[in-house]
Parts: sequence; structure tokens; C-alpha cells
Amino acid sequence: MKYGLWLLLALWPVAGLANEPGLAELLGRIRHNGSAEFSYQETRKLELATSPWSGRGMMLSGVDGSLIKLQLQPMRVIMVITGQRMYYWDPEQKQRHSGLIGQAGAAGEEITLFRFIIQGHTEHLQSTYDFTHQIRGKAWHLRMTPKPGLNDENAPTIEISGDEDNTKRQVLIRQADGESTEYQMVKTAEGPEVEKSIRRLLLEAIGD
Amino acid sequence: MSFVWRKRWFLLLFPLLLAASVWQIRVETDLNAFFTATDNEDSRLLSALLKSGELSRRYLLVVEKGNRSNPGNDAERNASSLPASAALDAFSAKLVEKLAQIQDVEKVWPANEPPREWIDAIRTYAPYHARLFSLNPQQDASTLFDPGKLESRAEGLKQALFSPQGGFVKAIAKQDPLLLSLNGFKDMQNQFQRQANLKSGGSALILQSRPAALDSDAHLRLQAAIRSSFDALNQSAGEKFRLSMAGVPVFSVAAQSEIGRDVTLVSVVSSVAVTLVFLLLFRSFSALHWVMMVQAASFVLGTLATALIFGYVHSLTLALGASLIGICTDYPIHVMVHCAKHRHPPLDAARLLWPSLAMGGLTTIIGYAALGLTGFPGFEQIAVFALFSISASLALTRWVLPALLAKSTLHSAHLPGIAAWAGFCGRHRRGLLSLFACGVILAFFTLPQLRWMDDMQKLAMNMDQIKQQDAAVRAHFSSIEPGRFVLVKADDIETALRRSEAVERRLITLKQAGILSEYHGLFPWLASQALQADNAKVYAQSLTPQFQEAWRAGLVKAGLSLDKLGGLLPPIAGPLRPETVLASPVRHILSGQMIEGQNGIALSIWLGEHDPVKLAEGLAGLEGARYFSQKDQLDQLAGQYRDRSLLMLAIGIAIMGLFILLQQRNIRKVVLTLLPSVASVLFIFAIWALMGEEVSFLHVIGLLLSVSLCVDYGIFFMDNRGEDSDVTYHGIAASTLTTLASFGALGLGKTPTLPILALSVSLGVTLGFLLCPLLIQKPAR
Repeated sequence: MKYGLWLLLALWPVAGLANEPGLAELLGRIRHNGSAEFSYQETRKLELATSPWSGRGMMLSGVDGSLIKLQLQPMRVIMVITGQRMYYWDPEQKQRHSGLIGQAGAAGEEITLFRFIIQGHTEHLQSTYDFTHQIRGKAWHLRMTPKPGLNDENAPTIEISGDEDNTKRQVLIRQADGESTEYQMVKTAEGPEVEKSIRRLLLEAIGD
Repeated sequence: MSFVWRKRWFLLLFPLLLAASVWQIRVETDLNAFFTATDNEDSRLLSALLKSGELSRRYLLVVEKGNRSNPGNDAERNASSLPASAALDAFSAKLVEKLAQIQDVEKVWPANEPPREWIDAIRTYAPYHARLFSLNPQQDASTLFDPGKLESRAEGLKQALFSPQGGFVKAIAKQDPLLLSLNGFKDMQNQFQRQANLKSGGSALILQSRPAALDSDAHLRLQAAIRSSFDALNQSAGEKFRLSMAGVPVFSVAAQSEIGRDVTLVSVVSSVAVTLVFLLLFRSFSALHWVMMVQAASFVLGTLATALIFGYVHSLTLALGASLIGICTDYPIHVMVHCAKHRHPPLDAARLLWPSLAMGGLTTIIGYAALGLTGFPGFEQIAVFALFSISASLALTRWVLPALLAKSTLHSAHLPGIAAWAGFCGRHRRGLLSLFACGVILAFFTLPQLRWMDDMQKLAMNMDQIKQQDAAVRAHFSSIEPGRFVLVKADDIETALRRSEAVERRLITLKQAGILSEYHGLFPWLASQALQADNAKVYAQSLTPQFQEAWRAGLVKAGLSLDKLGGLLPPIAGPLRPETVLASPVRHILSGQMIEGQNGIALSIWLGEHDPVKLAEGLAGLEGARYFSQKDQLDQLAGQYRDRSLLMLAIGIAIMGLFILLQQRNIRKVVLTLLPSVASVLFIFAIWALMGEEVSFLHVIGLLLSVSLCVDYGIFFMDNRGEDSDVTYHGIAASTLTTLASFGALGLGKTPTLPILALSVSLGVTLGFLLCPLLIQKPAR
């Protein structure tokens, strides 16, 4: 009897995972390992703004983990995240910034989180987030909520949804103070050409 | 006490004394403790800044692309596909992470962006925006509170909220919608922007270390850890990069290593030379063994006494103290020369010579005491060290050495030329004295040509290579000059801050005139209550209903929240007090700019590139403020030391004369005893004047030492206690040789202090020795 109870307790976590069929497969599916280019539409709702703000552009993800957000509307702005650094270039305002993500405080943490989400590297978030998912036909939906008792009160809730062939994706990041950012992304290209674009935009952002 | 018991007691007590020294002694290697005087306020300030100043503890690091390039690992091969500057940035980012893990690193950050703590600190100033928005509130009000510009400011706020810094701006805007608190920090932002725009081809990092700048041991370990972290990363990057370092700690470690080398070299060479001279003279290992034990006991006693009085012994005291072995050996040598020549038992010789030995020792102690009063802090230690070492050596020579030498056989070597020189002086005394008199007159005429050294830098070690590296590294930084700043003093912090704000206003004008490239002041990190009140008054006056309405209209047009940003609050009730600021992490930012002393508070405003003369002129008339140059301060100190050492030279000679008078009770004998040493000082000054040698206080101190040693020769020659002037002169020759051997070893040192002392003392004792038989008439046998 005792042996049977011990076996039940030992297998309990496995039984728990068995209740979430397809999560591991889903997490693997949303992950980007190669180069890819997406067109995106961004909608931001800020606490201090009366109406949502919208922007459009291209998002490029590189083999080495670099991420470039090329905003084309309402004005052209390039933001690059590569390695531990971030570069920002606003040609209209002629403002160029660069810095270590680790030195940027809360902004740096947001940028790191953003990269994980966009590139689908959710494994980095598993220690701080609870995952729930739904798969309905070809559509899937993943919700990540900060684990209870987490020290970071400002950790956002994240929702990612997409289709079976992974060409369309929606990302919603909802901050604890009610602010939110939503991305509608459609994959437009992948392969070596994307790497060339990444290099070109990186050079432009650095100012070389 | 019998000889046997004297010997037993000595052999028992010596190891105990040695053990007590090892247990008690703390050797200080901090150069500042030795070289920087603390007898005036400026010196104390300089000393405090060198010891703990924020800038002094900083390393400037530059990572550049090297010449070598090997394929690294996969990650690095990927990184190599990045543009060159991005690859360098990526490498630097990793290096920053790695360096931050080193224990003695307080923080490390890229030079073109403020450390994270600074950004967090700026956010805490938002509630005080109405009290801290400007250094010149009346003047800036027309721009900052222009209702016509509010529309564009609201639009700017919106853009900032949607930028990557949105989170930072939002936190401030909720308390300070006009972002007034950021206005005071604009200069800081511009400084980082200037650094970012330098495009020097390297990645510039600033590393703030924890140990004081002159704690060389800690910095030696830290520099090794920095190099090791860099090498490990660079190896995996295919050795594509190279690292250069600069900063005050780099110099202090280099200086420390040179001094360490000097201490070892001088101690070893001095000991070996004295030993060889001794063996050459007496050819007795047994006597050498006992005399060295007596000297070792004297050295240990001097070290222990110094450690007990000062709490530590400086390594340079030990190096210069090692040369004292040569002086202290003189006393046993005189005893032994008389023993060997006259076959006297050592006890009889010690008794016979005791009055001369005691007087000789006393005059040497007087010389060292005068040295201690020159104001050079390191020499205070050496004076105490000499007092105890010489006293111990004298006492041991008188009461213990005879017991130790009881069974030793001494062979006194005949030194060639000694008797011949004494004989030559005796035969041609009249002619030589005429020559001497002419020499004295000529020497007096040359004295006005003497050139005094005014630049203390010339006494510093030759570090050209490190200086070049320093200049190369600093070229990558839009930097602040660490050795020059504006110093503001006051009795209390409020007055000091008011004065500092007046200086900053003046510096802004000088900056606009191109006299100064940049400066780091205390505003707005700290502001006087008076300035905060002025700001609050201007702010309150500017918040008219029309202004508030225009702001709200601007917000509506920009699409920003009226509820959250529309209410412009009146100034916060109380001022931001210095104690509140200094209890926060801001104290680390200001730690190198505030020094609290017994007489009030001193604030320093760091300066970028500037014209020293015009800047000093520009600050004229500002109460409590002055331009401070570390170099000028050191040069001024050098002048003070020189004047005091000349005074001490005169006082030292006078006191020695007084003591000799008390013993001899004959003014003629006093003059004759002092004459060889005083004449040699005069001739040496004349030689330096003719050669154009720049004479520093160290030269004078060396001569003071040589006088204290030469007077001994005069005393022995005049006393001639053995009633055999040949033996006496042989004894003097032997002690001159040991003095030359020990002080000559100082000449091998790379620290300029040591060769200067070697030259002065060696010249002084040699001339003094040669003049003795000429100036002091050969006493009748």
C-alpha cells in the first residue's frame, strides 16, 4: 500500500503534464531559429495618452538572435537588439542612441522580454510565467501570466496567438498598470536575403 | 655583569625582539603616506582626494581591434559577421558583464552612457522639479515657461512616451508633466552624447574600483583580474581585440613595483657592500657575524619603535633605514680598528672611545631629527627610526660588543693612501690652506648661480611609457582632468553650495567663451536652499491661469491625458535637504566631490579641458572658491620643503656645534670640528651651481645627513682618543667606506629620491673625510 502511494506521488508531475497536451509542441512551433522577416502593425495604449497609437513596419529576426524593428509609419525609426546591446536611430529627429541592455534598467528588461516573445524563446520565461494554451482547429492561443508571489509587480501578461502554418501571429503585451501593446505580424520572407537586410539596417542604426 | 651573561642575554633577547617585531609590524606601501605632507589644509585635502577620491579610483579602459585575428568558436564566428563596430560593441558588452563580477569592482559602464544607478537616481528628483529646474531660474524662466512653446513641448512629451525610454519618462511625467526636473540634468546628457560622438575607433569603458587609489596591492590584484577576464573573452573571440588601461591606480601600481624593486635592491646591495668592506678591513668572519647581529638588533629595535609610535612602518623607511646599517657600523668599526692596531681588548677600546662615539652618535641623531622636522612626512618616520637604531647601536657597541668579540681575532688592514694623504696635508698645509681659502671665496661667489628645482614632477619616477599609454587611452574619452579642479570651501554645507552654484554660473560663461570644454558640478544633484527657494518662487509666479490653460490645450492637441498631466502642482512644501540626498545612492555619485573636514566642508567641481590661467582669472572675486591644481600644490610643497630643509640644515649644524662646545669647552675646537663638514657642503653647493644642477629639497636633506656624518669624523679626529692619529684616520676611513657602500647602494634605485640622497651624502662624506687632516691640525702623539 505504502509503495503504491509513493509511486503515485512520484508520478504526479508527469500526470500533470499529461493534462496539457500539445504545449511542448506549440512552444516548439512558435520558436524562430532561422532568419525571418515580418510585416507588422503595432497598436499601443498608454496610460497617459487619450487615444491608441498605431505604427507599421517590418520586424526582422536574425540567425544570431538579432532583432530589428524597422518602423515605417508614422515616421521611419530603426531599433536594433543584437547581443547585449541596443541601437536606436530616428532619422527625422536625428537622434541616435546606443547602450547596453543590462544598463537600461526597466527599459532593458522590457526589451529583453520583447525579444523573447517575438522570437518565441519562451523557455526563458518558464521560470517566471505560468503557461496556458488552447488549440482550436488550425488556430492556437498561448497565455503567459506572471507566477503568483513573483517579486516583480510590474511584470506584464502576454498573449500570443497564431495559425497552423505559422505565417500569421498576434502578440498582446498587457502591462500591470493597464497599458498594452499589440502586434499583428505576417511573415513576408525568410533566408539569406533577410540577413543582408539585417546587416544593412544594423549599419544604418550604428551610423557606420 | 660578566661577559658570559651579557652574551647570553643578548642571544636570548634578540630573537624575542625579532618575534615581537614580526608580530607588531605593519608595513605600509601607500606612497601617499610617505610623500604627502599633512601639516596644512591643502595637503590634507590633496591627501584625502588621492586616497579615496572617486576619480582617483577610476580606471579608463579602451578595447580596440587588435592586429591578430584567429577564428574563434561558433558564436564568435557568427559575431564576426557583424559590422566591425558592432562586433566591438558586442565584445565590450560581454566584457562589462564579466568585469562587473570581479570583487573589487564597484561598477563598470560604457563611457557614453550613464550608469544605471544614475538614471534611477534622476527619477527620484521628479517631486522636486519646481525647486531644481534651473541654476539661473530668473534667466531661464522666459524659455521654460513660454506659453507659446507649450504645444511643441506636449508633442515632445508624447514622442518621449512612445520612445524606448517611455517607461522612464512616464514615471517622471506623472509627477512632473513639464519634465522640469530633467532640465538640470541636460548638461550631463550632453556630456555622454559628446562621448558617444567621439568615434575614436575603440570602445571606452569606465571602471570604478573599490580600493583606494594608492592601495597598490589591491590594485595589482585587480589589474591582474581585469587582464585575465579580458584575455579569457578575447581568446574565445579569436584574439581580435586588445585592451589598454589608464588611471591613477595604474600609476600607483607601477610606482609600487618600482619601489619594491628599489627596496630589495638597496637592502641587498647595501648589506653585501658593507659586509665586503668589513671583511676587507678585518678579515674576520667571527667579528663580521657579531657586528652584523648587533646591527640587525639595532635595525629591529628601530623598526619596532617606529611601528609602535606611528602604528605602521613605511617600506621606504625600511629602504632608507637599511642605509643606516652603514652608519651604525661605524661605531663597532672605530672600536675594532683600535683593538686591531693597538692590540687593546675590545672593552678597553670601547671605554676609551666612548665619549667620541657618544658625541658622534648624538650629532648624527641631531642630523636625523632636523631631517624629521623638514616637513616631509616620510622623514619623520626615518628620524624616529634613526634615533632608536643609532641609540641601540651605540649602547650595544659599548656594553655588548666587547663581550661578543672576546674570542675573535681581528686583522686590521692597512688602507693604501690614507697615511700618504694625511702626510701630504701635513707637509703642504700652508699651500693647501691658501688653496682652500681661495676655493671658499670662489664658492661663495658661485652660490647666486644655484638653480632651485621648482617642479616636483622632476622628482617623480620616470614613467614615460605609462604616460604615453595614459595619453593614448584618454584620447578615447571626452574626459575630466583629474589633477585640476575648482575648490569651494565654507563652514557649512548651505554656504558651500551657494558658493559652488556661483562658481558653476561663472563656469557656464567661461564655457561659452571657449575657455573650458565641460565641467562636473554638484547642481542639480545638490542645490542650496536659497536656490531651491528662488526656483520655487519663479515657478509659482509662472504658473498663471493662462499658462495652465495653454498647457492643457497643448496636451489635448498631442492626444495626452488631461487628468494625469493637466494639473501642474504647486512646489513641494520643503526643500530637498542635503542629508536626504546623501542618505540615498546619490552619495556615491558625489563621493569624490565632497570632503568634510574639521574646518568645514570642501566641494570640488571637476573640469574638462581648459586654459588654466584664463580659468583662474575667470574665477576671481568669487568668495571661498579657487582654482586648484595638484601639480601647483605639489610644486608649492616642494618650495616649502626646500626652505625648511635649508633652515633645518643651519639649525642642525648650530645644535651639533652647541653639543660639541658642551663637551670640548673650546670654541676653536668646535669650529675646527665642524669646518670639514660645513666646507664640504659649501663646495658641493658650488659644484652644483657651476654644473647647473637643479637643486631640490632632497639635495639639501642629503647634505644635512652628510653633515651629521662628517661631524663624527671631525669629533674623532679632534678627540684622537687613542693618541694615534694614523689609527684614528684609518678608523674614519673605514667608516667612510662603509657609509659610501651603504649610501652608494641608494644610487641604484629608480625612485629619483634615492640617487639624489646617494649623491649628496656620498659627495659630502668623501669631501669631509678628505678635508679632515687638512683643516684639523694633526694632533701631537
